[in-house]
Amino acid sequence: MIPTNRAGVDLPAKILVKDLNFFYGDSVALKTVNMSVYANSVTAIIGPSGCGKSTLLRVLNRMYDLYPKQRAEGEVLLDGENILAPGQDVNLLRARVGMVFQKPTPFPMSIYENIAFGVKLYNKVSKSELDGRVEKALRGAALWNEVKDKLHASGLSLSGGQQQRLCIARTVAIEPEVILFDEPCSALDPISTAKVEELIDELREKYTIAIVTHSMQQAARVSSYTAFMYLGELLEFDETTKMFTSPDKKQTQDYITGRFG
Amino acid sequence: MSEHIVSAYDAELDLLGRKIAEMGGIAEKMLSDAMDALVDFDADLARQTVAADPRLDHLQREIEQNAIQTIARRQPMAVDLRDIIAAIRISADLERIGDLAKNIAKRAIIIAAEARLPRAIIGLKSMHENAALSLKDVLDAYAQRDVERARAVWLRDAELDALEDSVFRDLLTFMMEDPRNISFCTHLLFCSKNIERIGDHATNIAETVYYLVTGEELPVERPKGGSFSFEQHLPST
Repeated sequence: MIPTNRAGVDLPAKILVKDLNFFYGDSVALKTVNMSVYANSVTAIIGPSGCGKSTLLRVLNRMYDLYPKQRAEGEVLLDGENILAPGQDVNLLRARVGMVFQKPTPFPMSIYENIAFGVKLYNKVSKSELDGRVEKALRGAALWNEVKDKLHASGLSLSGGQQQRLCIARTVAIEPEVILFDEPCSALDPISTAKVEELIDELREKYTIAIVTHSMQQAARVSSYTAFMYLGELLEFDETTKMFTSPDKKQTQDYITGRFG
Repeated sequence: MSEHIVSAYDAELDLLGRKIAEMGGIAEKMLSDAMDALVDFDADLARQTVAADPRLDHLQREIEQNAIQTIARRQPMAVDLRDIIAAIRISADLERIGDLAKNIAKRAIIIAAEARLPRAIIGLKSMHENAALSLKDVLDAYAQRDVERARAVWLRDAELDALEDSVFRDLLTFMMEDPRNISFCTHLLFCSKNIERIGDHATNIAETVYYLVTGEELPVERPKGGSFSFEQHLPST
């Protein structure tokens, strides 16, 4: 099941997941998942606890490599190339496919250094170029005006919402192609959440975005496509407006209307 | 349909359904009583019918209030969202049906004073049967979430349009026969228009029920049975 959009038009899929199975030791976490993440749009992944949505997200930039006894079978094509194949440069992959986590994770460094660190890892840049990249990233994360006069303050001195936007700035600073968000607003207050959602809306034009969220309303607000996962399977995938007004599957409807959790 | 984890949510949706059912019952009775008052020249029954209308208006406002509060509270999705929107739309259609029945009853009071030409009312009785059946069927379709029944009501509207045409012609004939019939027949013309409008509102409700159950809309163009389609009366060039 490789879906095209409702109009039957073949949209470019930035990432194509083909027959993906995932195992934690002997236990199966993902079963034959087939899915497209379309370019320059936001795809939300929703489902009850334990359905495999975070697991799926973490396959997309091979975060699971960091842990023993976790393995993936199948293919994940990024621009047509299988990132699960042996011999892939995983560090380069993670520069192309960035990730923002649920708990903000600023480095214990200054705001400036938080951004500069990643840029310097991948690029040889002069000080003035670096300044420019830092400013651009902070502007891109809608944080510049709030921190421009205290770039040398610690990243940890910011509020939760600002820290999360700092993490987003850090991600966009290295100019990825895809940004993965794993429940980015779960730890944030409503205003910070709204700012992050507004940011995601702006980022969508330049990047491909996938977001795992527990909030149905957030998925409905920010995404163009939604994937509903249940017990390790992708049960339904559709345009968000269709999914939330008249989904095809009963389990999807039961979940999004709060008939089971 | 299984229940929500939060039972209060189910209770709120059930309440909307019960109030719609109550409105439906009142509207059906108002229509039936208004027609009886007209046919039997019964001014007292007509006055009772008029008196039933405020309850309908009140219920419509309650339904809207409840629906808005549920939307704010629950951020409804999918079938729940369609359910609440349907309740808002259907309550508005039922409130209009009540108004139209009330207007028939008001004219029945006037006609009762100068009863003439019972045979002019025969066509109206046929129209009423069609509209009353559609109203009953569509309320059942809503209660049972029955799409086929809703579609049948939607299709039946064409018959009512055709009946209205023939009533129009009959009443014109009576008026031409004898000028003393004009006042009486004009009131009946308005009544026939009201019944036709009641049929339209029942058809609206059918469209809403279809949307509620399937998530899709019936075609914009309803089947038309009357000769009052605009194209027929344009001058040919």
